[in-house]
Amino acid sequence: MVKILFFANLRDIAKVDSLEINLGGAKVVRDLLVSMSEHVPNELIDALADETAMVSVNHKYAGWDGVINDGDEVGILPPVSGG
Amino acid sequence: MSKLAEVLITEDDFDVAQEYKKLCASAPKSGAVVFFVGLVRDLYGEDVSGNDTKQASDDQMSEESIDYLELQHYPGMTESLCQQIIDEARERFPFDAIRVVHRVGKIYAAEQIVLVAVASRHRDNAFQAAQYIMDYLKTRATLWKKEVGTRGESWLGVKDKDAVAAKSWAKR
Repeated sequence: MVKILFFANLRDIAKVDSLEINLGGAKVVRDLLVSMSEHVPNELIDALADETAMVSVNHKYAGWDGVINDGDEVGILPPVSGG
Repeated sequence: MSKLAEVLITEDDFDVAQEYKKLCASAPKSGAVVFFVGLVRDLYGEDVSGNDTKQASDDQMSEESIDYLELQHYPGMTESLCQQIIDEARERFPFDAIRVVHRVGKIYAAEQIVLVAVASRHRDNAFQAAQYIMDYLKTRATLWKKEVGTRGESWLGVKDKDAVAAKSWAKR
């Protein structure tokens, strides 16, 4: 299983804070989009399609081609705005 | 006396006087203390200008206002990124003690949102470390702000001027 967390506007679109899905054949973060599409609104998949959102794997910034393994936690991160 | 955590992400407000007392107590060899406190402005982000005269006239004309900000973070990752930024600042501008507090949750206009407090031997490092940390908190730490006010609700992204400020450290 892989846990996927959504934040800010992407969480609003996803309508869930997080999701657990089977890794299946997914090897990199990008591959998760296919399995995710069964659990979240299409609008979210469309919003992620251009890959401008940042992603993290186990609390570290990674790219959409970041490698994932069973048990990993993936964050889907819109542009930040702290401070 | 137990060592003060360098990073705190919390829903609770912080007490500047208490933080000052604790920071000074943990840095007896420091000769300079710099405190930066960020507040929630009752002004829309895109309307912020560096020009005070323009701001004053805009304020008089505008009936728009911010009720509160809703701050979200990524528990665990946010703390670790803040610590990373602090460690980079320590490497470049050595200091004796530091405290970064960032609030999350619902924060109303005029309330405190962030504290960066640095104690160092001389003022230059304290000023620079505080600025470095703020510039990267705004552009790298996994924190998200939603403005809620007369214009409704909207999530904010990195402002161009913040991105430029953070990038400028790479050239120094």
